[in-house]
Amino acid sequence: MYHLLDAEWLKLRKSKITFIMFVGPIVGMILGLTVSTDMFPDEINHWFSTLMVMNLTYALLFLPLITGVLASTICRYEHQAGGWKQLLALPVTRGKVFIAKYLLLIVLIFAMQVLYLGAVVTIGFIHQYTDPFPMEIVWKSILGGWVATFPLAALQLWMSLMFKSFAAPLAVNVIFTLPAILAVNSEKVGPYYPWAQPFSMMYIGGDTKDVFFIPWEQLITVVGGGFLLFFLCGYIYFQRKAV
Amino acid sequence: MEYIVETRKLTKRFGKEFAVSDLAMKIPKGEIYGFLGPNGAGKTTTIRMLLGLMQPTAGSVRIFGSDLKKDRINILKKVGSLVENPSYYPHLTAAENLEVLRKIYGTEKNRVNEVLEIVRLSDVANKKVKGFSLGMKQRLGIAAALLNRPELLILDEPTNGLDPSGIIEIRNLIKRLPSIYGMTIVISSHLLSEIDQIATTVGIVSKGKMIFQDSIDVMRTFSKQSVVVKVNESEKAWRSLMAKGIQGELHDGKILLVDKTDQEIAAIIRNLVQNGHDIYRVEEDKRSLEDIFLQMTAEEERV
Repeated sequence: MYHLLDAEWLKLRKSKITFIMFVGPIVGMILGLTVSTDMFPDEINHWFSTLMVMNLTYALLFLPLITGVLASTICRYEHQAGGWKQLLALPVTRGKVFIAKYLLLIVLIFAMQVLYLGAVVTIGFIHQYTDPFPMEIVWKSILGGWVATFPLAALQLWMSLMFKSFAAPLAVNVIFTLPAILAVNSEKVGPYYPWAQPFSMMYIGGDTKDVFFIPWEQLITVVGGGFLLFFLCGYIYFQRKAV
Repeated sequence: MEYIVETRKLTKRFGKEFAVSDLAMKIPKGEIYGFLGPNGAGKTTTIRMLLGLMQPTAGSVRIFGSDLKKDRINILKKVGSLVENPSYYPHLTAAENLEVLRKIYGTEKNRVNEVLEIVRLSDVANKKVKGFSLGMKQRLGIAAALLNRPELLILDEPTNGLDPSGIIEIRNLIKRLPSIYGMTIVISSHLLSEIDQIATTVGIVSKGKMIFQDSIDVMRTFSKQSVVVKVNESEKAWRSLMAKGIQGELHDGKILLVDKTDQEIAAIIRNLVQNGHDIYRVEEDKRSLEDIFLQMTAEEERV
């Protein structure tokens, strides 16, 4: 497994992945720059207000969308010139290849979350915030957003394995991501819609009793259940795929 | 006899079409096995099943004496392959492409340089593969197939789409391999001329069925020799031969003599000369293996 990840990393390092990873955090940063702390009451920590504004676009749109783009990117060079048939004729099991790709994908998403955190901190410095940095809450948001993408990453990996083109998985991604804007505003649908979870789990205004900003039941059923479903479908699909 | 590859009743069905049916392939150790057949005969499908890239509809594959289904990983450790068009990562250099595979095989680091040297790509080791010519990509594919010092090398149409000098280069490369490494090689092609000069054993498929499988020498015995004689008044000459009980065929004003010994030919010529015929040409017409191959596959088509 280590050798496989090492090989995956070499392929990835030389692709244009860094550029893609910076898109989300940079958009977040641009939004952050526009934040005027006057919009919020004084007693609210300035870091909070900034994060609220930045999260809205980042967690609702860019995080889920770029998750899909990253999934397509790590499959793209395999589709391009017979990479799959060469890779799968090596002494590796398909299961391990699938898991390696998935692990790589969630590590990339985590790196993107860390970049986003960096963007938040940078904004604070630019605006010269004096309020204490709410470390615990920010980490909760960053980690929560990451965990929330697990099912989305599994679905997008499955789609990217299935379709040679870049556009088809992206279309699936957009179709599911856009309704999240409506879903988060609905108390009925919001908690059950997987694509709304990155926002819910990054939303610092949420309930802070639990480890994350959403209740455990919701985390296990919607995020956990979604992950299991998509991961297994992708895994089984890849086992049977003729290359 | 020890077979490196042995398939039993190997079958692959796509919908209603049988791409491969009841194929029994037997490849003895140390041979260069030429896997021949027209395009679409099922060669690539068979090779994909040999590598586990595709599941057979029925039948079994044994490689190195073990069942492919049960022991795939251990088998593939000792197999090198090049399937159809060369596979590569366009955004990586030649050396990086091989490095990716080397990491998975776990062979020593210097092996990358060794295989690049074998296929003579050392000069372009650090150039991106997307700028390579087809011949260079093909050689890179062979380098990749040699990385793990395989005991069985499977090359699917390794010279497809190459120019004549590229074909000769690949052919010379393949010829060198068994003597250096003692490996068993399978080469598929739709052109017999490709395989004629290097293969020791031949398997011919047509419409997914194995129609011939034996050593190339056995296949050569199918080529009958005949002598063509061009004379004036050919019909009259032919009749005079027939009258003496000599079997021959008349074809476009030429007399065709099949399977005759040197003495018989000499007697026939003398006879014609003594009868006052002018002899313009006496030529040997040897049926090439290509003709036999075409005839075999054509017969199969008609059935």
